[in-house]
Amino acid sequence: MSTPHATVPARPQQGRAGLWRRLKGRQGRNLWFAAFVAPFFVGLAVFVYLPIAWSGYLSFFEARNTVSPTRFVGWDNYARLLNDDLFIDSLLVFVVFAAFIVPVTYVCSLGLALLLNNLKHGQAFFRSVFFIPTAVSYVVAAIVWRFVFFNGARFGFLNSIIRSLGGDPVNWLGGTNDLYWVALVTVRLWLQVGFYMILFIAGLQLIPHETYEAAALDGASGWRLLRWITLPQLRATSVAVIMLLLINAFQAFDEFYNMLGSIGSYPPYGRPPLVHLYITALGGGQQDLGVGGAGTMILTSIIVLFGLAQSWVLNRGRDK
Amino acid sequence: MKLNRRTLLTLGGGLAATATLAACGSNNPLASEEPTTSTTGEDTAAAGITLQQWYHEYGEAGVKEAVEGYAADYPDATVEVKWTPGDYGSILAAQLLTDDVPDVFEVEQGGSLDMIRSGQLADLTDIIEPVRDQFNASVMERFTFEGKVHGIPQTIDMQLLYYRPSLLEAAGVEPPQTFDELVAAIEAVRTDDIGGLFAGNDGGVGVLGTLFIWASGNDQLNAERTEAAFLNEDFYNALVAYRELSASGGVVQAASAEWYDGAAFINGEAAFQWGGLWSLPQIIEAHGDDVGVLPFPAIGPGGRPAVPFGAFGACVAADGPNVEAAKAFVKWLWIDQEDKQVDFSNSYGTHIPAKDALVAKADKLSGGPGAEAARFVAESGFANDIMWSGTLGDAFGAAVSNVIKQDADPATEFADFADLAATELEKLQG
Amino acid sequence: MTTRRSTTVLRYVALVVLAALFCLPFYVIVRNAFSTNANITSAQWNWLPDQLDLTNLDSLLANDSIGILRAMFNSAVMAVLQTGGTVVVSLLAGYALARHTHRLSRFLLGLTLFTLMVPAATTFVPMFIITAQFGWIDTFRGLVVPGMFSAFATYLFRQSFLDFPTELEDASLIDGCNPWSSFWRIVVPNSRGIIAAVGTIVLIGSWNAFLWPSLVGRDATRTLQVALSQFMTSQGVRYPELFMGSLVAIVPMVFVFLFLQRYLVRGLTTSGLR
Repeated sequence: MSTPHATVPARPQQGRAGLWRRLKGRQGRNLWFAAFVAPFFVGLAVFVYLPIAWSGYLSFFEARNTVSPTRFVGWDNYARLLNDDLFIDSLLVFVVFAAFIVPVTYVCSLGLALLLNNLKHGQAFFRSVFFIPTAVSYVVAAIVWRFVFFNGARFGFLNSIIRSLGGDPVNWLGGTNDLYWVALVTVRLWLQVGFYMILFIAGLQLIPHETYEAAALDGASGWRLLRWITLPQLRATSVAVIMLLLINAFQAFDEFYNMLGSIGSYPPYGRPPLVHLYITALGGGQQDLGVGGAGTMILTSIIVLFGLAQSWVLNRGRDK
Repeated sequence: MKLNRRTLLTLGGGLAATATLAACGSNNPLASEEPTTSTTGEDTAAAGITLQQWYHEYGEAGVKEAVEGYAADYPDATVEVKWTPGDYGSILAAQLLTDDVPDVFEVEQGGSLDMIRSGQLADLTDIIEPVRDQFNASVMERFTFEGKVHGIPQTIDMQLLYYRPSLLEAAGVEPPQTFDELVAAIEAVRTDDIGGLFAGNDGGVGVLGTLFIWASGNDQLNAERTEAAFLNEDFYNALVAYRELSASGGVVQAASAEWYDGAAFINGEAAFQWGGLWSLPQIIEAHGDDVGVLPFPAIGPGGRPAVPFGAFGACVAADGPNVEAAKAFVKWLWIDQEDKQVDFSNSYGTHIPAKDALVAKADKLSGGPGAEAARFVAESGFANDIMWSGTLGDAFGAAVSNVIKQDADPATEFADFADLAATELEKLQG
Repeated sequence: MTTRRSTTVLRYVALVVLAALFCLPFYVIVRNAFSTNANITSAQWNWLPDQLDLTNLDSLLANDSIGILRAMFNSAVMAVLQTGGTVVVSLLAGYALARHTHRLSRFLLGLTLFTLMVPAATTFVPMFIITAQFGWIDTFRGLVVPGMFSAFATYLFRQSFLDFPTELEDASLIDGCNPWSSFWRIVVPNSRGIIAAVGTIVLIGSWNAFLWPSLVGRDATRTLQVALSQFMTSQGVRYPELFMGSLVAIVPMVFVFLFLQRYLVRGLTTSGLR
């Protein structure tokens, strides 16, 4: 392919200034680009990628109470975690938790959004009521759930109701039964359902009216409308919601720690991955940074695989 | 006292565990003849030196002012006290990784294995050796590792079983000396209004965990610290005995406060409560003379009574800028100043002075439950082994919980523990 | 027509019942905050508070082991600084990523999406080590800076800028603005909605954060959530004070929320969650 303009300078003449000009781009566009993105990506590098790299390094060393370890132990720290029943259990806890919380939140927040959609009176009021719990912290909600609703003593809220119906008080969080899951799922549901409801409301508003009208003309209504019009139109929102729900479930820490733990101890049940990692790596006075590093690497790999698998599945679905 | 005083004694719960029955019971008959004032320290602590001293947050009113007063009284250096609420253990551990380390700080059981191994603690053997036999022997045994001492004991805490003599009398039972008698006593006294035994809102598995080892006649680790020493029928039967007590409804599963608070016992939510000696003033205030104390009773044929004890030790940072001056200060406060030591143990809650001779000067221990508590420590005191690491404690706590709460078979549940312990101990032995 | 009316009635009944359930936790907090301990732990459940005065607030404020005022101040400083920092950093990056489509930009966008999958909490151990190495433990820097680089915020901004017309910017560039001043004079003032939306999300997350502040925030920088959590399991815990503390902790955010709700809804509608 020949050069269309004879005036293009020959390469050797460019020299360093030319390279600089190319780097700068037209009107210094590249320089401006760099200036705009630098703070964010430098921060990302220092506070996300460097830590991951460092924990990858530490994970191959025996590193108790030190960040500059000298004793190389190969895959020992990984082996320790993968042979640790409590760690494996913690992954199962995540799976069980996600299996409950993701679909339940999805259905409830979509349900609330549909209930509120096109409501004539009081829409803003009800929306606010469902939305406000989002402003409450997991710590405060855990306090309420632990000491009031699911308190195992006779003065607990649910136990008061059960006793007034003639039953015996239930030990909700004590681990003698699986009822602590009810507390864990409901507290998170209360806290987050409003936020996802807003996302669905936003998604619903974007569905063109004509779509419904056309469908109504065809005689569709109720479930059929939901199944064939609303849900497909909400597809993008649904994908985002499910992804956010999964990522958040994976990060579960605050409500578990505050509802089940007491200082110095945490029961073996209801222990999600981050809580277990916290206990093994930084718990009490010990700092086992080698195992902590290995745990970080394992969890990061799992969540990345999860994310990649999810987007792959969803993209395949979309192609169909 | 709160937070970390509890962590210290949350034996089975897992995270805290770094304590002991360490060897090296050393008797130094000549020790007391050596001069007890070291001039080297005081010379270097000349004017102009500022030391930083860390404490965890003590729950009793007045402790902070007291320790600040002690520091202000020290003539040879300026001492700044830093009061640390929250998870003191991990806060301190993190701070010791940085370049800005405190000069003097308290550590549970006088220093963890990790701290000693990584060289964070200065060797204090030389200042304590001359006076070693003045201190409580069990505590000194626990504070000595490989012949060295890295912390000077400040005061001793312990846990014990509270009961109401009047309730037992009314039911016609004697104070229980064995676990079977305890079970019978609980059955005799509990009614719809007052529950049996309360030992925490986790059903007691956290705080009582390691007691099942000791009270069934076992030790945590063998003498060489190469394997777990309690995996036998006696221990398993102890767990099953407690499980049966729980299943029969004799253990209060949830109360208005935790075991480390006297409230459940004071409110009459339970006839027996496992609690801390520090709650004694609060409990006596509520029940007056009607308070009795016991060690955890012996379980099974080889059983023996047991109480856990623990002590914070004053340690010196090996990497601090003024190691000698810091050592001089620690020696002055926790070895020489006996009035302050008595004040620290006796004026704010109930604790046992670390030096045996001072116990007589602590009026709260002069009679009644306080005196008995001091005797329990001397006769039946146990502390976590220094190699009972967080990893072992966590795995142990999980297995105990599974046996008692999930009806798991103890032998099966602890099957993996032997291997885990062997591996972990090999690692810790270095 | 009657079926439609009856469904409407049913809808409202359902909404009222659900709204009551959603309000129950708030009611319980208020009840306990204005009750005596005996009222809370009484064997018979009491719906009404029995101490409708400021006794519990006074004893909360006087309780040194919580240090509620100091903790609130720390939380406020952290939340405001982190929100401001995150918004500025992400706004700049999101804008540049939306306006440039060259290879580097696409690569960085990919990196952002990837980071979105790896939540900061997962890497708390190494992040803690790094922060400790910087000597940032127990400083506001340590609380704020490590959490300031949110892929989520950057992504939301980038998506909203994709829909933002470029004509105004082009005109300002012709008028002699450079991209920096054009950004601040033209782009930012026209993006208040999305800024408010993202800002609210970050603000709430920051005010309510627990894991990171509990690791880094110490003596001087203990935040409200950490203080409450520690008080909850401490020996000196008293339920009325604990719930008064909880009430104090949620009131500011509830007001912020009611005020900014509008922007949040609108912002999320225009952002990339579609």
